[in-house]
Amino acid sequence: MKDAFENVKHFFIGLPEHAKFFFNNSILGFLLETKSLRDALIYAKYWAFIWGNIFKFVGTLLFKRGPVGAVRELRQYPWVLQALKATQLLRRITKGRKGAYLESSALVIHAIAVLLVEKLDEIFYQPERLLINEDLVPPEIAMAMGLNVWLAESMGILLPFLDPEACLDFIDEAENAGMNPDSCSFVKATVGMTAKQQQPKGCAIVSSNMPCDAGMTSYSYIQQQLDVPIYRVDVPYHFYNERAEKLFVEDLKEMIAFLEKHTPGRMDWERLREICEKLNYMMELELELWDMMRVSPAPLASEAVWLSHLMLFNWFPGHKVSIRHYERLVELARKNMTEKIPAVENEKYRAVLWNPPFPHFVDIFNQMERAHGITLIMDSMTFNRHELIDTSTPETMLRGLSQIIMQGPMVRHTRGPAENYLDDIFRCYKQFDLDMVWIANHVGCKSAQAMNGILREKCREMKIPLLILDYDLVDPRIVSHEGMLSQVEDFMENVMKAKQPQPMMQ
Amino acid sequence: MKLFQELLENPQNQLFEQAVADGRIPIGYSCSFVPEAFLMADKLMPVRLHAPGVAGTETADIYLSNFICTYTRSLLEFAIDDRFDLIQGWVFVPSCAHMQRLYDNLEYLNKPKFSHVLDVPRKVTDATIAWQIEELTMLADKLSAHFDVDMSDASLMTAIDEWNNFAAVIQSIGELRKKSAPPITGTEFHTLLMAALVSPKNMILPKILDFQQAVEKRDNAGEFRARLMVMGSHLHDPDFIKIIESQGGLVVADLFCSGSIPGFKTVELNGNPIKSLAEHSFKKTLCPRMMEDFDRRLKTIIDTVKEYKVDGVVIEIIKFCDLWGVDSMSMVSALRKEGIPVLKLEREYSMGGEGQLRTRVQAFIESMGK
Repeated sequence: MKDAFENVKHFFIGLPEHAKFFFNNSILGFLLETKSLRDALIYAKYWAFIWGNIFKFVGTLLFKRGPVGAVRELRQYPWVLQALKATQLLRRITKGRKGAYLESSALVIHAIAVLLVEKLDEIFYQPERLLINEDLVPPEIAMAMGLNVWLAESMGILLPFLDPEACLDFIDEAENAGMNPDSCSFVKATVGMTAKQQQPKGCAIVSSNMPCDAGMTSYSYIQQQLDVPIYRVDVPYHFYNERAEKLFVEDLKEMIAFLEKHTPGRMDWERLREICEKLNYMMELELELWDMMRVSPAPLASEAVWLSHLMLFNWFPGHKVSIRHYERLVELARKNMTEKIPAVENEKYRAVLWNPPFPHFVDIFNQMERAHGITLIMDSMTFNRHELIDTSTPETMLRGLSQIIMQGPMVRHTRGPAENYLDDIFRCYKQFDLDMVWIANHVGCKSAQAMNGILREKCREMKIPLLILDYDLVDPRIVSHEGMLSQVEDFMENVMKAKQPQPMMQ
Repeated sequence: MKLFQELLENPQNQLFEQAVADGRIPIGYSCSFVPEAFLMADKLMPVRLHAPGVAGTETADIYLSNFICTYTRSLLEFAIDDRFDLIQGWVFVPSCAHMQRLYDNLEYLNKPKFSHVLDVPRKVTDATIAWQIEELTMLADKLSAHFDVDMSDASLMTAIDEWNNFAAVIQSIGELRKKSAPPITGTEFHTLLMAALVSPKNMILPKILDFQQAVEKRDNAGEFRARLMVMGSHLHDPDFIKIIESQGGLVVADLFCSGSIPGFKTVELNGNPIKSLAEHSFKKTLCPRMMEDFDRRLKTIIDTVKEYKVDGVVIEIIKFCDLWGVDSMSMVSALRKEGIPVLKLEREYSMGGEGQLRTRVQAFIESMGK
């Protein structure tokens, strides 16, 4: 009785706080903050689109499974409920942004919402065609085979966007299952999700020896838990040569044979050609965007660039939503360029972020824009430059896809030799006319940690301001948001000699 | 035994120095995927890199960070301090992220005159064996050009013969451990093994043969409560085994990087020495870096447990090693499913935390009812 009373009391005490939070996240809250009806309408449009998608998903689930079935499905995959926080993410990311930049930021959240609902439909209604695909195996192949691709690691990135603590249970579960606590929390989240039986089972798994030791080794456990056949592709250490490409292409062919044997998928080379051509088009659009990003001040920045690439190129290559998204991004960037409107009004410092971004503190750059005028221009995950895929024959397409993977960010940066890592940073610094390099120093990423000493000395030689920002990719308990912000403040004060840093806006 | 212990006191021991004075060319390596026989051709001499008595890794920590395994950091620290000054070449394997970055940092801080990355694939198929053959051929050409050594088929066949004779002796000593009352302790065996890995084989072999004769005359190695197998990553310091044995657990089998199972397999010849060595690389090593190899490793462990009448398995993992750290999650549960008691220990490269180790081993042996 006493506890019940305390709970009720606690609820009423917390009401003003909840009401304030709710109001701040509402369209009205946005309008009052921005004081621009036009921006509020942009925000309202995407707010409504995102909720529309959520209602569409729930409605379909209720229609197809009935109320009891729907509850059963949601108990199987309780993380799906995190999607209800999508508009909170929208609010955090769009805070203080205006016009085309605001729209580009909202656009990426909307695109992810649309595509995620499509993925959830595949999990619920077509489980027999679901392939568990590690994030560094080209999904285009399985897509061309008529399989639905589920990136096992996807929720380890996406859920912390929605709620910084969303993956903590998964991380703890993995450690309780015996995984070494010092390993990458991103891998632990995937393993924990599997251990909790919240990972879709799929009809088969394809994985690889990338991006790191923990990621690679975890697939023995994942396979044991899911109990489905697995194929693992192997990228050689020295991959910038024809010999390695040939070996990897043969490996991909073996993977196709494996998938044809163990799944309902059948290779359709015409379909692969279509996907590759659309992917080429996406790459062309992205290159156009990059060209505009080189201009200072930049017409777009931050999530519009990195989050778009991270989600759409890696998970939805060639998808019509991805293509439309990039077309719209280019239009918005061009509009800002033509009208000479900078994305960040007070752009003072142009930054590159190296290593994976900050999923549980996704709005750190939004805060930095407002506090210091730091504008995120490029990041290592997006800086994936390569030739367009030659679609003339199946062999050339596989070769093109193998190059994208082998020379992709997490592969060429996290393994060595050191030049792959260092040269890319300095090339990027020069190409985009940057002012500072940020290293997202994820404690679980041993390979990147072991490059910091050399990088620090090289940056000193070249007089490049370097911030090595300690954090954990998925687990905010390791370094708190306050701890991350104070590292930035110290850097701005001591290295950049920023006068009178403005108080951080929340 | 004292001689073998002395040989482990320095990264470059007296036999090693003597061999260098005689014109031998020492090549350092740190991974079991490097076929030792390959580095025994002509004047070459393989040396397993170790860092005995490493007191701290302050300089290496600056470059590699505190999150890299202490074996890697210790090697870099010794390299920066020129403790490997007689080693004329380094052969790396991108066996893990730590070793890959050791190569990068070494190249930056104290670039060796000769270094090579042997790109060993992570799975075994016809295509990857062919790749490994090409890799060894390229390494042979590079060694031959740099050191003016004979890496011809004939020279490699001689080296393989020498290795096979040597490995056969080690194996025969290892066989003694299968006895119900083994005449050799795990500490002695490991001391001998490590001494063999860091010394010229031709110079240490007579001493090993003498030791073998003496051991064969023994009835047993003393009274022990349980028979244990130790498996895991790099384990160089025999004191680790000594502490386990001090609690009454005789270590009868060793399935770690620098152990004899299956590390000291003889090379099966198939007419082409490089092909034989390429295939041998995969057979002689059981490492979680290899994909699709879990079942083979598990089977080897279970077979070894039966063959050596092992009561319990100790898995030792160097802190921050993701390969063994993540793999042990599946391995521990798989072994327990088979009814094999398992103790998982995290440790640092150099010996430390002896009291804790004693307590855990003691509790483990007691939990087995021994």
